[in-house]
Amino acid sequence: MKKEPIIPESRDPAFIEQVIKTPVGEKIPTCMQCGICAGSCPVSQEMDYSPRELVRMVQLGLKKEVLSSSTIWICTTCFSCSVRCPRGIHPTELMETLKPIAIAEGIKNRNVKFDNVFSDVIKTNGRASEFLLISKYSLTEPGMIKQLPFGLSMMVKGKLPLSIQRMENTRELEAIFNLGEKSREKK
Amino acid sequence: MTENEQPLVKEQKEETIRKESTIDKSAIEESAKKGSKKIGVYLCRCGGNIADAVDLQAVADNLKEDKNVIVNIQDYLCSSVGQDKIKNDIEKGKVDRVVIGSCSPKLHLETFRGMAKNAGLNPRLLEITNIREQASWVHDKEDKTGVTSKVLGLIKGAAARMGSIEPLSPLAKTLVDRTLVIGGGIAGITTALELSDSHDVILIEKKPYLGGHMIGLSKTFPTLDCSQCILTPRMVAVHNNPRISMLTQTQVADVQGSPGDYSITLKHSPRYVDIGKCINCGACARKCPTGAIFLPFAQAVPQAYMIDMSKCSNCGACVKICPRDAINLEEKEETSAIAVGAVAIATGFEPIDPTFIEEYNYPSPNILTAIEFEEMLSAKSKTGMRLQKADGTFPNRVAFVLCAGSRDFTGKGRKHCSKVCCIYSQKQAQLVKKMKEDSQAWIFYIDMRSGGRRFEEFYHHTQEKGVNYVRGKVAEILPKSDGTLMVQYEDTNLGRKGREIFDMVILCPALIPSTGTKEIADKLGVSIGDDGFIEEKHVKLDPVNTLNQSVFAAGCVLGPKDIHDSVTEGISAAHKVSQFLGKGMILIPPEKPVILECNGCGDCVKACPYNALALEGGKALLSPLACTGCGICVPACPIKGIEIRNFTRDQVKAQLQGILSEAPGVIVFIDPYAYAAADIAGVNRKQYSSLVRLVSIPSVHILDADVVNAAFEYGATGVMLIEGITDEKLTSRSDDLYKKLKKDTRKHKKPIRYSHIETAQYEKLTDLLNVFASQAGAKAQKMSRKEEISDKEDPVS
Ligand SMILES: Cc1cc2nc3c(=O)[nH]c(=O)nc-3n(C[C@H](O)[C@H](O)[C@H](O)COP(=O)(O)OP(=O)(O)OC[C@H]3O[C@@H](n4cnc5c(N)ncnc54)[C@H](O)[C@@H]3O)c2cc1C
Ligand code: SF4
Ligand code: SF4
Ligand code: SF4
Ligand code: SF4
Repeated sequence: MKKEPIIPESRDPAFIEQVIKTPVGEKIPTCMQCGICAGSCPVSQEMDYSPRELVRMVQLGLKKEVLSSSTIWICTTCFSCSVRCPRGIHPTELMETLKPIAIAEGIKNRNVKFDNVFSDVIKTNGRASEFLLISKYSLTEPGMIKQLPFGLSMMVKGKLPLSIQRMENTRELEAIFNLGEKSREKK
Repeated sequence: MTENEQPLVKEQKEETIRKESTIDKSAIEESAKKGSKKIGVYLCRCGGNIADAVDLQAVADNLKEDKNVIVNIQDYLCSSVGQDKIKNDIEKGKVDRVVIGSCSPKLHLETFRGMAKNAGLNPRLLEITNIREQASWVHDKEDKTGVTSKVLGLIKGAAARMGSIEPLSPLAKTLVDRTLVIGGGIAGITTALELSDSHDVILIEKKPYLGGHMIGLSKTFPTLDCSQCILTPRMVAVHNNPRISMLTQTQVADVQGSPGDYSITLKHSPRYVDIGKCINCGACARKCPTGAIFLPFAQAVPQAYMIDMSKCSNCGACVKICPRDAINLEEKEETSAIAVGAVAIATGFEPIDPTFIEEYNYPSPNILTAIEFEEMLSAKSKTGMRLQKADGTFPNRVAFVLCAGSRDFTGKGRKHCSKVCCIYSQKQAQLVKKMKEDSQAWIFYIDMRSGGRRFEEFYHHTQEKGVNYVRGKVAEILPKSDGTLMVQYEDTNLGRKGREIFDMVILCPALIPSTGTKEIADKLGVSIGDDGFIEEKHVKLDPVNTLNQSVFAAGCVLGPKDIHDSVTEGISAAHKVSQFLGKGMILIPPEKPVILECNGCGDCVKACPYNALALEGGKALLSPLACTGCGICVPACPIKGIEIRNFTRDQVKAQLQGILSEAPGVIVFIDPYAYAAADIAGVNRKQYSSLVRLVSIPSVHILDADVVNAAFEYGATGVMLIEGITDEKLTSRSDDLYKKLKKDTRKHKKPIRYSHIETAQYEKLTDLLNVFASQAGAKAQKMSRKEEISDKEDPVS
């Protein structure tokens, strides 16, 4: 990974302001970089920045890196970091706060795409379907073709059922999604 | 009480004071009328600290309308320029009473009163109105007009009361030249030894031996000399000193009396062996079938055996064998009474129990606290000074986990940094490496704090010894089935997660005040901070004094620190005690009750919690030296014959009228202890409504319905009583006081509240003030609407 030096232009004070104003933002400036969040995180090795680094980047206002990081999408919301943080910062909720900002900013990486596909599947069927998920995601992410043999072998073993279950009444669910959409617009 | 205010006569006889306190009403009125009453009001800009939030010129212009008042504004009143201005005005006879609007009187009242005295003015004729901590700093987000109007009211009120202030002088009381030192750690030992040169000392320790934590240390940083070797000579010196009475297994049970003259009850738990007789021969221990009688450890001071009664079978074998007849199995807990003039608190610290940190799995075999590690290698060692795991073998890989419970702002641990762990963990790591060269020692830290002389060198030296440093707070310690421990962390310098296996993990726990510190503080009337440590009189300038002039503190009871600093504070406290006792006299505030009329009913005598009143010849008579000025007798007198001097009903009412003359507001009567909390709120800029007007009174118990009703009549939208004193003799009566006031002021239909706030609870205080101010405001609005609707009906009835 190439590391750009941090120069005044890389910092975005408006972004700091934006995050600090959210319910979880208030305590962000008090992060002391102790690292217990990252040490506790079961998936930090998969992230491009650890939760600790993400908090640091928010403190600095490195908007582009923060919003395009894989960290906020990889987080499993296990809450280990939030429970242990000695400064009462909630990295988990910070991730949840940053996701919609990333979407609103039009950030498009494979994590965002996957998230979109996932919520679409839920919205129309009311149930998750591995098959639909994978096939729809593959359409947006051509690299997925490489995973085909793996998918086939899963199918053979019955680990990727083709049947699609649907909820009886998806209209209520849609209404919920729409409400969520609206409240996001208001913010 | 200021040191500037020497009593007029050095040997004031109780008799003359008694007489003085039973003067009649006309004399007070006379003295109040005397003189022309030229009141000088001096307002301080305090740089911009006050002037930025208050339009001081507007305040001054308004005040000048009163012909008896002259007003002056300065940039810094506490500077010599500012003080000289006031001094000149007094000396030239331009003013003969002074009201200052500035920072808290807790900061500069003594300075200003000293200046007044030099200028020939009775110090009591100068008072400070707090317009910084309790105005400009706590309303700086509000519109300037509201704050300005509040300040104008406060000053008008102060000037109105100043008009009738009596020029009283403090009373003097002889001091008892003996000091109680509580706690036999290095700080208490040092204080006692330093004092013993010129004063008698009683040193009490709750454990059966002296030395505190230091006797349980191995080597001491930063020089690595053996703790016991440097401590033992001091402990022996205490033991042998004829001016120090050393009492182990002893604690404070009760405190009576007043500063300079305390009568304290001590509680001694039984040892069953007479320290004076035991010659340490050990015959008893050899005979005891259950191992109940033992010497705490070989070098313990005092050198005497003791019995663990939970193990004793009461067979009496030891009693028979003891050649000195030193053993008494029937010994019971005893109490004794001592008289002392001063107290030094040196009760030290204890580690927080790390069990609450679930991810660290303490207690588990081979997960120790740093104190347990030290003790293994100290005089108190139970392993023959060998470092060993639960299975008795040497740990080849040892991890030190710093900040276990420190620097935690979630409420689970403690906020403060425990200060010594960064350095002692490096010492312990060095010891591990020294005991076995090819062993591994890892230190997991967040920030390596090694400020101060010789400490960075110590850090560097530890690095040279091959100790491994990891910057990162340990995330998890998992005990494995083979007895080893898996430590998971992030190396924050690399941004990479890591896992490592150790044989032993040492937790460096947050250091917190000893259990019982708060009880001792309450008994002696001193405050503790929100971290639980004793509050200094001034953080920087009076570090070993407390707000009680006869109580001092030293060592870790004032916050975590190393031996060097504990000793320094012990020496300082001894000096301060000696300075205090050296005066021979203690000055007590003259704001005591005066009995103006008496029909001999004795109600006040019954009410007084301190036995300061008696009926003599059918009239109540006051012993001013026993009186604490609590004011309970004031509302107790059915004919309103008792007043507290300089806080008489009329004086307080005049002040209230002034305060409310500009605009209605909420009146908050506040005692000196809670006043300190309001000041801390100010320092922390905790905002509350400028409708709140604090009125400082010596105690909430001087209030009666007369005064509170007056407040309502002058326009108060609500009245609050805030009490901070912890003396149960008073607080046990506060509820009754509140209920009575509520009942007797009901006709105004305005809210009244009581609340107890200790100095540390400044956040609770501001929350309360805000809630009450808005409630009172809402209620007032509702009432006025009601009045509008039915203006013919009398809303009061
Ligand atoms: C693990 C560890 C290692 C350390 N290593 C070093 C080092 O190498 N070098 C160094 O300079 N400093 C070191 N320190 C710091 C050092 O221990 C303290 O500075 C020192 O012990 C403080 O002394 P103290 O008298 O204030 O408190 P304490 O040692 O705690 O003594 C207080 C005494 O008061 C008694 N007491 C408590 N409550 C009451 C009561 N209610 N009534 C009567 N008695 C009471 C206690 O029993 C105790 O004996 C270390 C600290 C720790 C935790
Ligand atoms: S645990 Fe909290 S304080 Fe520590 S690095 Fe993470 S966010 Fe910052
Ligand atoms: S909540 Fe997310 S960031 Fe925090 S520890 Fe769990 S997975 Fe990691
Ligand atoms: S001294 Fe070091 S280890 Fe101890 S609390 Fe402070 S930073 Fe943490
Ligand atoms: S009640 Fe309080 S003020 Fe009155 S005499 Fe007793 S101690 Fe003094």
